[in-house]
Amino acid sequence: MRMKNTQPTTFKKGSGDIAVTLKGVNKWYGDFHVLRDVDLTVKRGERIVICGPSGSGKSTLIRCINHLETHQKGSINVDGTELSEEMKNAEKLRQDAGMVFQNFNLFPHLSVIDNCILPQRRVLKRSKDEAREVGMKFLARVKIPEQADKYPGQLSGGQQQRVAIARALCMEPSLMLFDEPTSALDPEMVGEVLDTMVGLAETGMTMLCVTHEMGFAREVADRVIFMDAGQIVEENTPDAFFDNPQNERTKAFLKQIL
Amino acid sequence: MFDFRFYEISRQPEYIETLAYGVLNSLWLTILGSLFGVVLGVLLALGQGRDMPLWIKAPSVSYVEFLRNTPFIVQLFFVVFGLPLLLGYTWSLEASVVLAITLNFSAYYGEVIRAGIQAVAKGQTEGAMALGMTRWQTIFDVILPQAIAKVFPSMTSQFVFLFLTTGLVSEIGVQDLTWAGRYVADRTFRDFEVFIVLTILYMLMVFAFKGSFALMFRMAFPWWGKER
Repeated sequence: MRMKNTQPTTFKKGSGDIAVTLKGVNKWYGDFHVLRDVDLTVKRGERIVICGPSGSGKSTLIRCINHLETHQKGSINVDGTELSEEMKNAEKLRQDAGMVFQNFNLFPHLSVIDNCILPQRRVLKRSKDEAREVGMKFLARVKIPEQADKYPGQLSGGQQQRVAIARALCMEPSLMLFDEPTSALDPEMVGEVLDTMVGLAETGMTMLCVTHEMGFAREVADRVIFMDAGQIVEENTPDAFFDNPQNERTKAFLKQIL
Repeated sequence: MFDFRFYEISRQPEYIETLAYGVLNSLWLTILGSLFGVVLGVLLALGQGRDMPLWIKAPSVSYVEFLRNTPFIVQLFFVVFGLPLLLGYTWSLEASVVLAITLNFSAYYGEVIRAGIQAVAKGQTEGAMALGMTRWQTIFDVILPQAIAKVFPSMTSQFVFLFLTTGLVSEIGVQDLTWAGRYVADRTFRDFEVFIVLTILYMLMVFAFKGSFALMFRMAFPWWGKER
């Protein structure tokens, strides 16, 4: 699943060697305790895969890093920005932390290239020509420049997810968050999306991926994190994680999915 | 057997002219009221959003409820005769009537647009926000275009319905199509024929509207239905 001819692109780097720090993060949905004392430090350029059973809080965790959800206790620091419930400049943070969703969330009323152009124009205030140029560059990176003028609804799921990745990259984020990017795809389309992600990893992008694609985890992850019931239960290099899991819950989970 | 005498209407150029003016007046009243009404309707729909502060939400909801639950004829009298007295201004009859129609239409359009906004998937907002777009950019560039496309058929039928209710403005002397019909009927005593002509004219106008709306939809939303 290795991507060939990847043009390494330099990304805007945040300052410092640490991309994300979470300290004692807690979150509740009403009475439901979704995140319990989560501590996590992500170094710049690190690739982390987060897995765990459904309802374990993995999606919530990365949505908190993007401030799509707010946490109630503890601290989250992204590229030197401290996140809080009442923070005003969430837009700034979000353009720095790109996000790819399970359901793509492409804008169906805009063509593929316009999906890439709109946020650049609105958020980065780029000119139309510049935004188009950047858009085409990243569409080429995900290998679908020829689909630029189609509408998202005319593409396959895998193609749509690649457009979503390109669209996020257009904002030149320093960090990419993936929330189960292949879970809504037909099996034969998973590969093309993973290839794109592997290519991205090779450019040195900091990546946090919630995924159950264990092949991907083994190949690109620097660290695999296993979550259960809102806690980080186990955290290790992929080899150690898969071949020699320590925690009983991890063992049970791996037995289920492998 | 009733003896239809349409020529009683057609032989008098004045009657034809009156009816033609009626058609034009009904047309522009409806179109103007709808243009303003849709703009106001969008604001009303947004004002009722889930995360709006109470001081915006409460007036928006009350306004819509009030206008949708009172008769148009009463609103018409209030806006045209009552409001100028209360606030001490003088407007032309036409301006006052356009205001009354706008206020009435906006409540109906607002509800249709609100339904559209609710029908746009939550992921669209998240997708836009995750790219760093602001709330207003998200609303205007992402949510509204999709919302309006989704409810366009309902907007069309709401438009037709509201157009047909504008006949009521003839009650206060606005020379719309219904007024023109009365005028001709009173002078020819051929009420039956006149109202048949009115029916046909109203129907033709509705067909014209529907045709234009279908065309507008295809031009404004070329992406609609583009699926594999």
